[in-house]
Amino acid sequence: MIQHRARTPLLDLLIYGGLILWIVLASLPILWTLIISFRQYVDAFSSPIQWVAPFTLENYVHLWVDREFYRNFANSAIITLGVVSISLTVGCLAGYALSRYTGAIGFWLLLIALVFRALPHSTLLPSFYTLFDALGIRNTYLALIFVLVAINQPFTIWMLRSFFMNIPRELDEAALVDGCSRFQAFRRVIIPVMWPGVITTGLFSFLLAYNDFLLSSALTNADKMTMPAAIANSITAESEALLMQGVAGAVSITVPLIILVILFQRQIVSGLTQGAVKG
Amino acid sequence: MKTSHFLRFAAPSMGMMLALLALPLLMTFFLSVRNCTVEMEVVKVEKSSPFGTTVEMTQRARLDENGRAIQRCEFVGLQYYRSVLGIGGPAAPAAVDGPPGEAPAASGGGVRNPFLSALEFTLIYTLATTPPVLLLGLLLALGAQRLSAMVKGPFIAASLLPFIITPVVGALSIKWLFHDFGLMSHLLGQIGIQVHWMAQAWSARLLIIIYGIWHVVPFAFIVFYAGLQSVPQDSLEAARIDGANALQRLWYVTLPHLMPLIVFVTMIHIMDAYRVFEPVVVLTQGAFTATVQYLTYFVLIQENNPFKASAAAVLTILGIAVLLIPLLRRTWREQRGGH
Repeated sequence: MIQHRARTPLLDLLIYGGLILWIVLASLPILWTLIISFRQYVDAFSSPIQWVAPFTLENYVHLWVDREFYRNFANSAIITLGVVSISLTVGCLAGYALSRYTGAIGFWLLLIALVFRALPHSTLLPSFYTLFDALGIRNTYLALIFVLVAINQPFTIWMLRSFFMNIPRELDEAALVDGCSRFQAFRRVIIPVMWPGVITTGLFSFLLAYNDFLLSSALTNADKMTMPAAIANSITAESEALLMQGVAGAVSITVPLIILVILFQRQIVSGLTQGAVKG
Repeated sequence: MKTSHFLRFAAPSMGMMLALLALPLLMTFFLSVRNCTVEMEVVKVEKSSPFGTTVEMTQRARLDENGRAIQRCEFVGLQYYRSVLGIGGPAAPAAVDGPPGEAPAASGGGVRNPFLSALEFTLIYTLATTPPVLLLGLLLALGAQRLSAMVKGPFIAASLLPFIITPVVGALSIKWLFHDFGLMSHLLGQIGIQVHWMAQAWSARLLIIIYGIWHVVPFAFIVFYAGLQSVPQDSLEAARIDGANALQRLWYVTLPHLMPLIVFVTMIHIMDAYRVFEPVVVLTQGAFTATVQYLTYFVLIQENNPFKASAAAVLTILGIAVLLIPLLRRTWREQRGGH
C-alpha cells in the first residue's frame, strides 16, 4: 500500500493555487469573449474596462439574421460531415489492412504517411489553386471535402491502425475459417468491436475539418465558406458592428466544441494518448 | 494477410493520398520554376458620353473560344526563388516588418530576405514555446494527480478547451483580451505595464508565443498525465525506503519513465510549430511575425502569384525535411524492429 505522505500546507497551497491559476488562464479568453458578445461595442471595448454592462443580443441577431451566418453554419456542417464519413470509411479499410499485413509495402506506406503528416498544408495550396482552377472545381464542397480527407488520411490511418492492432488476429482467423471472405470478416466481425476506436478517430477528423481555416478560406468563396473562414473578416474589421459580429461568431463556433468535450472527453483523451503510448 | 488483399483494402486511401498529396507536392516543384501570364490585347473601345463619342485604346485579356483568358507559360528557372530569398533584383515585397493595421503588402522595403526572416521567426517561436509547453504540461500532470476523482474530470475537460478550440477563434479571443481596450491590457495597465500589444515587433511576437503555449500545454499535460499512471509504484516505494526525497524520486524514477513521452511531445510540437499559421494571420496579419506557412499563403492569396508561392513552398518543404530526419529514424527502428 502507498503510505500516506506527510504534506506541508505550503506545498498544497502552491499546487492547488497553480492548478486554479491554470484553469482561469485556460478559460479566460473564451469566457471574456462570451461576456463581451452580449454587449454593445462601447461596453465591450472601453477604458477602463466595464465589469458589468447592459445585456444585448443584437450582435447575434446581426450575425445570424442580417449576415446569414446560418449559411456558413450549413457549409461547416456539410464539409465536416462529408470529411468525417469519407475519412473513416477510407481510413478503416487502410488501417485494418495495415494492422494485418506485414510486408514491406505497408511499412513504406506508414513511413510516407508520416512525412505527409508533417507537411505544412500551405505548401500544397499553390497546386490546389492551379489544379482546381484548371478543372473548374474550385469553390465546390466536394473539392474541399476531398482535400481535407486526404490531408487527414496520414493521421487517420496511423491512429486506426493502432486501434486495430489491439484486436486479436485470432478473431479474423476464426471468421476466415468459418468461411467469411476477408471483407466479410472485416465488416461483420472486426468493425463491430472497433466502435470505440472509430469514434475516437472520428472525433479527431471532426476537429480537423471543423477547425480548418487555411484550406477553406483559400479554396472557397464567400458563398461556400465555413464558419472559421467567414469570421476571418472580423480580423481586420475597422467597423465596430463587424467586430462585434466576429465576437458573436467566435462564441457560436465554440459552443458545439464545448458540447463535444463534455460528451466525449474520455475518447479525446484516449486519442491523444494513443499515439504516445503506441508510437 | 496477402499482398493482393492488402492492396485492395488500402487502395482508396493510397489513391487519395497519391492524387491530393503526392501529386500536388510534385506539382509545386514544377510550378516553382514557371510563370504564366495572361495574354493581353489592345482594343479600341468607343465610349459614348453626353459630350460625344470618343475612341480609346484599352488593354484586356485575350480570350479563347470558351471565353477563358489565354495564358502564356514559360520556364523561368530560379527567378522566384531569388525573389523569395531576396537575392538580386528590386526588393521583393515582403510580408514582414510593417506597421500593423496597414496592409502588409505595402510594407516591404526593410526586409531583404522574406523567406529567411519568416524562417527566423518560425524558429524563434519553436524555441520559445517548446520548454514552457513541456514544463507546464509536466507540472499540471503532477498536480492533477493529487486531485480527487470528482474534480479530476471537470479539470481535464476545462484544460482541454484551449487545445480543441478552433485556432482562429482561440487567437481572436486572445487578441481581444490584449486589444488596447481589452481586459488583459487593462489588468496589466493596473500594475503599470502599458503596451500597445499589436504595435511593435517584440510584443506582437510575444503574443503569438503566448497563444502557442496556451494552445499546446493541454496536449502535453494529457500525454504526461497518462504516462504518470503507469509509473512503477514499487520503484517509487523502493526509492522512498532508500531515503530519496520527493524531488529525487521525481528526477530519478518518474522523469526517466516519462522520457519517451517527453521526446514524443517535443517532436510533435516541433512539427506543429513549424507550420504555425492561424495566430499569425489573426493576431498581427504577419506584421513583424511572418512564418514560413504564412509567407506561402500571403504570396498566393495577397500577391495572387501561385508560382512565387510555389517557390516559397519548396523552400518550406526543404526545411521540414531537415526536421523530419530524427522522427523518421525513430519510426524506422520501431516498425522494423516490430516485424
